[in-house]
Amino acid sequence: MKKLALRLRDWPPSAWIFFAWLITLSVLPFLIILAMSFAVRSDGGVITWTFTLANYERAFHLVYFRVLIKTIVLSLGATLTCLLIGFPVAYYLARATPAKRQLGLMLLFIPFWTNFILRIYGIVSIFGNHGLLNQALLHLGLRDAPLEILYTRVGVYLGLVYNYLPFLVVPIFSALEKFDLSLREAAMDLGANRWQTFTRVLLPNVREGIAVGSLFVFIPMMGEYVIPDLLGGAKEVFLGRVMVEQFFTMQDWPFGSALASILSLGLVIALWVRMRFDQGKTEAASHAFR
Amino acid sequence: MPSAKRPPNLFISFMFWATIGFLYLPLAYLVVQAFLTDPSNVASGFTTKWLAALLESDALWEPLMNSLLIGVASASIATLIGTLGAVGFGPFSTVLPPSLTALIMLPILIPEVITGLSLLIFFLLFRFELGATTVVLAHASFSASFVYFIMIEQLRKLDPNLGEAAYDLGAKPAQIFWKVILPNIVPGLSAAWLLSFTISFDDFLISFFTSGAGLTTLPLKIYSLMRIGFSPELNALSLVMICLSTGLVLILWSKEQSRKWVISGS
Repeated sequence: MKKLALRLRDWPPSAWIFFAWLITLSVLPFLIILAMSFAVRSDGGVITWTFTLANYERAFHLVYFRVLIKTIVLSLGATLTCLLIGFPVAYYLARATPAKRQLGLMLLFIPFWTNFILRIYGIVSIFGNHGLLNQALLHLGLRDAPLEILYTRVGVYLGLVYNYLPFLVVPIFSALEKFDLSLREAAMDLGANRWQTFTRVLLPNVREGIAVGSLFVFIPMMGEYVIPDLLGGAKEVFLGRVMVEQFFTMQDWPFGSALASILSLGLVIALWVRMRFDQGKTEAASHAFR
Repeated sequence: MPSAKRPPNLFISFMFWATIGFLYLPLAYLVVQAFLTDPSNVASGFTTKWLAALLESDALWEPLMNSLLIGVASASIATLIGTLGAVGFGPFSTVLPPSLTALIMLPILIPEVITGLSLLIFFLLFRFELGATTVVLAHASFSASFVYFIMIEQLRKLDPNLGEAAYDLGAKPAQIFWKVILPNIVPGLSAAWLLSFTISFDDFLISFFTSGAGLTTLPLKIYSLMRIGFSPELNALSLVMICLSTGLVLILWSKEQSRKWVISGS
């Protein structure tokens, strides 16, 4: 079937204004970063526009490679934790009545519209050395000295889980919502126990949706700058921090751009997987109705 | 489906409410902390002196005014441009190539760090002076996409015969727009404006990258106070920010046009 196409010359002026805005302030800056990742920084911070892969090679040097591995491990751990907590939360929402579901989603998201820095500060005020948790531990005599959670890896991990949890609940929730719960009932009737029903009926049906949702949480986590900065202390070097410091303290824009491009590539892959997944779904559906 | 009506088991309910508790505890404690005589001791007693002191100090008013002005300016620009886009592409929204829709979606999907850094480099290369203007442009740049999607939906609900009917009854094009179309899209416009305003008001990272040295917004002020160390002033300021943000998101939630964007987040 031939699709009706909208030709460029048919675009009304108002569409052009919006499009030009989008190109100038969203696409162009992104392309500049991409181009800059192939450039060289000469002495004094001057940028020479050439084509070199040196910045990318440098990203895989041992020093940065260690940072990369550490960032991946921490982000992966935080993503998995979000999954483990997020799954029952999403399941609760998927099985709730529509009114309760709305309320639950609202409750889940209100904290995410208070400012990001405030959420970090909230974590500090609970888990910091003078925070509520340590006050309680010292008061109850469970510890003599404050438990050091912040300014360690655990602090970064906590911050990541806290800040990304709802963004993983939503994709799991929509995957579960599409799942026909009567299949679960059917499996039980056919003699499957709870565990079998979960692993053989429920999980295979929501697996892809959850995987794609996880990618969309995992990649921004890797780019986090403020969470490791404020909750990890000076020692916790994280990919996002290395990247941002190239632009501010190190004045090495090309290398920073290369790191930003690598991160963006990850996101593009995630998007591509999601689009393919959505397409696969629609194709399967159209087969079923043919 | 009778199975869906059955209440979820205890473990599931517990996990849900425990998670909600985990999410709210830090913010709730920030509220409590602002009223503590000694902020590092929860049993130290209630006082309002820190809040009273904040109202006198310039830690509140200048950043608050900056945040409000930047929010109003960026939301107005984003609403104008996003609505233009929706009006222009609206009639074709069903035949738009997916790549174009993806392009419009892009500013919403890109992680904030990347958006902030790329805009910073863009502004520096084109010799913009970093300050309120660049922050406004940065906020409006991605808010316009949110506006676009809200307005596309709003325009879709509009009866296409409405304009024609007005024309038949003798209205001039300008009158059709101001008296017939506009009143019908005001709910969408206000929701879109408010969403853009809230995003701008709450934004930290992109303001941090594009503001240069001189400008402070409320979130930037909280960040710089946090870096110095913890103070009663910081706690009082946090309380003000929590109240304003929560108020804004509750208004967004109450509006049908912006509700779904509250859930997908920014």
